[in-house]
Amino acid sequence: MKVFRERKGQFIVIAALLLSIMIVSVSMVIYGTVTYFRQERWEEYLTIVDSVKTGSFHLLEMSLSKYSQTQTLNQTILRDNLNQWVRDVRKAYPGFGVDLSYSLETGAHLAYGMTPNYNMGLNRTWDKNPSYSTANTTFSINIASVGLTGYNFSAHAFLKMNIADALWHVGQGQSGWVGVRVIIEAEGPTPVTNLRTANFVLFQVGGVNQTFTLYRYYESQGHPVKQNPTPPALNAFVYELRYSASSKPDFVNVIITVKDSRGVQVRGAVNNLAVIDY
Amino acid sequence: MRKAKRSAKGSKGQMRVIEAIMASLIVISAITFLYIFAAAPSSHTYETGELEKIGHNVLHDIDEQRLLARYVYNSDWANFTAALIVSVPTDVYFNLTIYDINNNPINHPLIQYGSSQVFTTSKAVASVTYIVPGYQTNYNPRILVLQLVRG
Repeated sequence: MKVFRERKGQFIVIAALLLSIMIVSVSMVIYGTVTYFRQERWEEYLTIVDSVKTGSFHLLEMSLSKYSQTQTLNQTILRDNLNQWVRDVRKAYPGFGVDLSYSLETGAHLAYGMTPNYNMGLNRTWDKNPSYSTANTTFSINIASVGLTGYNFSAHAFLKMNIADALWHVGQGQSGWVGVRVIIEAEGPTPVTNLRTANFVLFQVGGVNQTFTLYRYYESQGHPVKQNPTPPALNAFVYELRYSASSKPDFVNVIITVKDSRGVQVRGAVNNLAVIDY
Repeated sequence: MRKAKRSAKGSKGQMRVIEAIMASLIVISAITFLYIFAAAPSSHTYETGELEKIGHNVLHDIDEQRLLARYVYNSDWANFTAALIVSVPTDVYFNLTIYDINNNPINHPLIQYGSSQVFTTSKAVASVTYIVPGYQTNYNPRILVLQLVRG
């Protein structure tokens, strides 16, 4: 009995000792967990991934821009640029082990309502209605220094032009104006709304270059002159290229080339486009 | 007999007090140990991390607006500096240097906000590297190194 009582006191010391060990070890684990995520330079890695990603998007647009602006098709332009880009990204971030790889889209794929037949990530389907220029590549980023592998993203660049209709605006006597209306969309698809007259680099009617005045507006009203059948509302942001004519033509043959702010170009053509009274 | 019992009880009581004091000392010394050694990491790490985030966001925003390449390749340094000044917080100073892909500096006037002394005296200088592939149809990469400090 006496022995038991004497051991009771020692028990308090042993309990305190164990408690102290527990406090110290638990605190160390918590401290290590918290500081690991705060001291690791995640921000730097994220900025690298973000910078490379944005640059890759721009590179795709640049390549499509060059591809669409040259007369003769340079089908390897995207691949050549990407090969250089992969090397240069490694050089730009020495010591991080940044490894960028890519895969060019090939074959027919659905993109924004169209089915472009990609060849080395590029396709231009022109002189049709609608016409488009497009590029498509899948990228993968590895950062060896932090153990990041397989961060994949795909990049698209797209520009589509749809020649919607042609309107006849009555002037004095027989003369008037013909307004050819086009709808232009980029990837998304998102309407392109920032184009100016200079962006329409070619406007030919019946094989002849026409000077025109550019109007742009959102068309949701439908056709004001009720006809049978009444053309439906376009419900889209339209560009109207209006030129003067001595008399109302029944049909027009139109070729339009447009270049957006990125430099991506597309040429659309339509024959026998009916000119409707406005 | 009674006296002997009382003195035994008394010494036991004293022992309890001593044990309680010892236990308290052990717990207090454990807490003190944690307090001394579990010091928070220096603010340098946090400070540069925050500045890096600001620097990257600023360059990324200008790039998203398609202005970055225009400024760099058209040598529009005045507008570039102005765009950076309005984009960073007022107490953040910066210094931007542009290199080609072989790390040769491109000739350009000082793109800086704040005196050079701020950069030499500051303990926390954040550095952001941003790569621009080219402009319009020309592939010609540029590396932008933006240094930031808090004033």
